[in-house]
Amino acid sequence: MNEFAGFDTYVWLAILGVTLATFITRSSPLLLGARLRIPPLAEAALRFAPACALAAIIAPDLLLENGQVNLSLDNARLISGCIASAIFVYFRSISGTIIGGMLVYWLLTFGLPGF
Amino acid sequence: MSDPARRQAVLRGVRELLPLSPGIFAWGLVTGVAMVKSGLSTLEALGLSLLAYAGSAQLAALPLITTLAPLWLVLVTAIIVNLRFVVYSTAIRSHFGHLPARSRLWLGYIVGDIMFVRFSNLLEREPEYPHKIVYYTGGAVANWVVWQVSSIVGIFAAQLIPQSLGLELAGTLALVALVVPLCRHLPTLGGVLVAALVAVLTHHLPMRLGLLCAVVAGMLVALGLEHRRQQRGVGS
Repeated sequence: MNEFAGFDTYVWLAILGVTLATFITRSSPLLLGARLRIPPLAEAALRFAPACALAAIIAPDLLLENGQVNLSLDNARLISGCIASAIFVYFRSISGTIIGGMLVYWLLTFGLPGF
Repeated sequence: MSDPARRQAVLRGVRELLPLSPGIFAWGLVTGVAMVKSGLSTLEALGLSLLAYAGSAQLAALPLITTLAPLWLVLVTAIIVNLRFVVYSTAIRSHFGHLPARSRLWLGYIVGDIMFVRFSNLLEREPEYPHKIVYYTGGAVANWVVWQVSSIVGIFAAQLIPQSLGLELAGTLALVALVVPLCRHLPTLGGVLVAALVAVLTHHLPMRLGLLCAVVAGMLVALGLEHRRQQRGVGS
């Protein structure tokens, strides 16, 4: 690749490829609209897509450390996630959940400043 | 945008997105840093962020690009990593049917995890909300702006942001704040637990295919649980 087309050309074509993937996956269902017919059961299941997608992204981020499940108290991300959930339940504040959870994480990872 | 009701709806979309911006910002920052550290030039990293606008696909493409993988492989990988967006766009497609194709193309392009959930929340609460498309546009554009600004900061300040801060956790915590309120509905909670379990068990699958398996498994379980609950409700 390097000799004839140049690395730069390759990289830009690859960038356009990833861009095309964004359009294909996100826009085509909207463009097809009603022409995209799926079984009624699948249509009903889509109601649960938001919650299930969130859970599927969150769980590995919080539960896995170096590819291994870590359910112990020294998993700082898991503890922060649990405390963040509690913050949300009590205060109903999204930004408070994010910032509070991060502060817990930094406290668990770096300890108190000055100690 | 002269109609005040429509302007209200745009602002509402932005307002309901903004509390999530610390998470979006941290995520964009980390992605910007990763692009530069993998060896892309500043210009290429800017191009990838501004054009592709898909964090997980960008990160998945980086090792392929730096090893000069064939272009078709880059495209196919990015499509597979993005498959969850097909689920999102399919779920909301009926609300966009009346719009011209060009609007649907761009409104689809800006679907992200967070705005999809926000829009679904709105449709659940107020199915008849008349300005839902304007609401969606406001929130999704705000998400785009926050993401791009943070990504650009990450690209230019890559050397100043220590990896040990674990900033990507803030993105996960934003999603935690979105999923917790949905768990009050028992069938949804069942789906959430199954999706989480399957995602952990299948995380080793390439191209984030485990994520897709987890979403599908969770949706089916939630549907089954709701069906059972309704049947019992009718029977008693």
